Amino acid sequence: MTDVPQELIRNFCIIAHIDHGKSTLADRILQLTGAVQDRDMREQILDSMDLERERGITIKAQAVRVFYTALDGKTYQFNLIDTPGHVDFSYEVSRSLAACEGALLVVDASQGIEAQTLANTYLAIEGDLELIPVLNKIDLPAADPELHGGAVAELIGVDPDSVLRISAKTGEGIGEVLEAIVARIPPPHGDPDAPSRALIFDSVYDQYRGVVAFVRVVDGEFKKGDRLLAMQTAREVIAEEVGVMGPAMTPTGILRAGESGYVVTGLKSVGDLKVGDTFTLARRPAEIALDGYREVKPMVFCGLFPLDADDYADLRDALEKLSLNDASLQWEPETSQALGFGFRCGFLGLLHMDIIRERLEREYDLELLATTPNVEYHVTTTAQDELLVRSPVDLPPPTNIESIREPYVRCTVLVPGDGVGAVMQLCQERRGNYVTMTPIEQRQQIVYDLPLAEIVTDFYDQLKSRTRGYASLDYELAGYRESPLVKLDILLAGDPVDALSMIVHKDLAYGRGKALVEALRGTIPRQLFEVPIQAAVGGRIVARETIKARRKDVLAKCYGGDISRKRKLLERQKEGKKRMKQVGSVEVPQEAFLSVLTLGSSSENSGTKK
Amino acid sequence: MVRHLYVHLPFCASRCGYCAFVVEVGSLGSRDAYLDALCEELRREQSGLGPLETVYLGGGTPTLMRPHRIARLLDQIAPHLADGAEISIEANPETVDRAALRQLRSAGVTRISIGAQSFQHDLLRSLERNAQPDQVRDVVACALDAGFDSVSVDLLFGVPGQTQKQLIADMHEVRALGVDHISWYELEIKPETALSRMGAQVPDEDWAADAYEAIVAELEGHGYRWYETANFARPGHECRHSLAYWSARDYLGIGVGAVSTIAHVRSRNPIDLHRYIATLGSDEPMPRTEEALDDDMVRRERWMLGLRLDDALDEEWAGPPDYPDALKKLAAAGLLEYADGQVRLTRRGRFVQNAVLHELMEYA
Repeated sequence: MTDVPQELIRNFCIIAHIDHGKSTLADRILQLTGAVQDRDMREQILDSMDLERERGITIKAQAVRVFYTALDGKTYQFNLIDTPGHVDFSYEVSRSLAACEGALLVVDASQGIEAQTLANTYLAIEGDLELIPVLNKIDLPAADPELHGGAVAELIGVDPDSVLRISAKTGEGIGEVLEAIVARIPPPHGDPDAPSRALIFDSVYDQYRGVVAFVRVVDGEFKKGDRLLAMQTAREVIAEEVGVMGPAMTPTGILRAGESGYVVTGLKSVGDLKVGDTFTLARRPAEIALDGYREVKPMVFCGLFPLDADDYADLRDALEKLSLNDASLQWEPETSQALGFGFRCGFLGLLHMDIIRERLEREYDLELLATTPNVEYHVTTTAQDELLVRSPVDLPPPTNIESIREPYVRCTVLVPGDGVGAVMQLCQERRGNYVTMTPIEQRQQIVYDLPLAEIVTDFYDQLKSRTRGYASLDYELAGYRESPLVKLDILLAGDPVDALSMIVHKDLAYGRGKALVEALRGTIPRQLFEVPIQAAVGGRIVARETIKARRKDVLAKCYGGDISRKRKLLERQKEGKKRMKQVGSVEVPQEAFLSVLTLGSSSENSGTKK
Repeated sequence: MVRHLYVHLPFCASRCGYCAFVVEVGSLGSRDAYLDALCEELRREQSGLGPLETVYLGGGTPTLMRPHRIARLLDQIAPHLADGAEISIEANPETVDRAALRQLRSAGVTRISIGAQSFQHDLLRSLERNAQPDQVRDVVACALDAGFDSVSVDLLFGVPGQTQKQLIADMHEVRALGVDHISWYELEIKPETALSRMGAQVPDEDWAADAYEAIVAELEGHGYRWYETANFARPGHECRHSLAYWSARDYLGIGVGAVSTIAHVRSRNPIDLHRYIATLGSDEPMPRTEEALDDDMVRRERWMLGLRLDDALDEEWAGPPDYPDALKKLAAAGLLEYADGQVRLTRRGRFVQNAVLHELMEYA
């Protein structure tokens, strides 16, 4: 492994919308620089998790070091840092950007700029990265390089001629990309003699070696055996091993200023290491840490309950293991009157939630019930106390509430002109506030502020289906705003059912209440007595349905040979009743709770007109 | 001492679409051997038989045994009979004629139950019954002439595809027959029957409730008492053998698959015809499957059976319910009447008797 001076190092990442070809381009770069033999090439090798491969997305950032001998004859060290592609993971994006001096901005020549491209481009510009615009998939018949290339150039303020045109699939133009990386991306400028500093831009848990930190060394150097100090958490670790990803983990014994690689720390949990923190040497610590530390905050919550109560311990173990490698996954125990013991989990976004659920079901073989996501409300009581409320049952009585504030997000939607009406209608339905609309290329960029509560269920799906798939979405947290929110209660035969309470906008209470009582009427079986189902706000009934009383059991014969069978039938019926939840005098099967509570149930968002 | 005897005669010409009983199709050559076996089983059990108050010949198609075999069987039973014993037989209309009915009467049968099911052609077809409505009417008329103490017909409602109009037509037919006793059952789709393989569905609860309310009203309006969940009788013509079941009396069942309940033990004979015959031709004891009934099961069965009747259940005889408070609640809801230790379901309560039982008793 040659000792490469800083001027010959290039640290860069690839920014792209999902499916615009980021990973294929990365594969090509690895291939052309000889890092991966053609016949060994696993598709998109940097995406190491199966799920990632399956969905075609990247979740975790990793760094790969390759060597490239340029046309000028010199051998350069490229550190390619792979960034997550999805809006949920913008924090991960910004961390990996902090490890780079430049970025390849990849746009699909047939699709053009997408909302995510914009978002991540802004992040890169904020981070002072040198951007190399690359138009990919020029081999496609629908490609329009003039149009989209021009738009990209305008976006980042460069000459249209500087936009590279490639096809990662065929390999066309990749050589130019490599030369452009050499020519346009500046080398790192760390001080090799200053006190060592390295930015931790990611980490992963290895069951044999403990936490492995991915680092970008800015100043000085780090060697195997060094005692390191994490500056924000003041934790000390021994660098049990240091090395680079080539793409496989390759120990080098030393990492120098300007280089990216990994450090094996021996720590037991990724939570012990804060990504964005700075490593320095314990024996000669740096004075000032590197920028880059920001606490991630979950934006979306849901309850996860095991279908079989006996699986509770397995679920807890699974969440522990998953969070070893995912410091942004939050979870805490929760009890539901209807569903028993489970967990309330916090995620960076809906994709993050979907991925975690899928991993729990697949890798840990758990059958789960997921309850509709909740957001966190800020409540000011009349006694001027500030409360954080995640569950409707924690809401104080209305007379004690001075105000409730809910989280808002600023949504950016890109859609062709003929989809504008549908997008605006959807946003209006979801209590959105219009901010602005700007034409970009042939499309409109529409910005709305929306309550997070209105986004967390099927907003994205609705957006896609109402625009026939053409709209794209990006969002970011935009603070808390006061809203006239109320608690909607459900009563069965006059008794309130805590598990079914929810917090809704007061104008939506009627519609939501009506949908809920109808769903319940359809799923609760007839009882000996008539059962009124009511939805109420603050004691006032807003909707009701009635379940008729049973009129007739099966009137079967019962002679000498039937007596035992009939008795056993009654025994089985009784067993069935025991599995039902007794709410006051009413027997409620689990399906009834699920019809109201679970994700994707028809009663979600039914307060809005569709 | 056991005072009630059930005899199972499994032979049938074909299996009806809804039938889940123990039947033998196509073994008519074994009838004599079977009869021998029955007589042997009776001989083995006779020491436990007190004077029999009721005998019931069920099946299968008992009348496929033909009058001479029935006569032979009844001869064997005769020494064990009490005076005025009720002897019932089930009959398929296509297997008897006027002469046969007279012969059965002479052999000692006092009560005959004719399987009609319906008088509508297409319903009979769905049920895979062999007789035509005309045959049924003829046989009933002959039976009424033959001098039996009671003539009964069996009917079904809730047949897939049955319309309100067809039900009303059946009610008119029944009324016109002038029989002493009617059993009108709700069709159940049992597993492994032709109907279940066809994916047949029973009607919804409200349709069935309306239908049965109409049946009850019609029959009560014509002199029949709704004396048990699915049975109607002119006064004095109730089936005493069935009443023994519903009063949780001991009974002996002989024949393939026959069930007995004696001294809190319920047992069942093997269902395979040839095994049954072979065992009784040897020294081997009959391998019965047995179920011991503990005190709680006995008590719960008494309530389960007793509440089927129009007559009140005596709480002292049956034992207390598991949830005595439920009695007041159910009485307040108009589902039963409770006074002086006598419990009686109201009209509405009789329709939802399973639900009422679950309120009163702990079945699991």
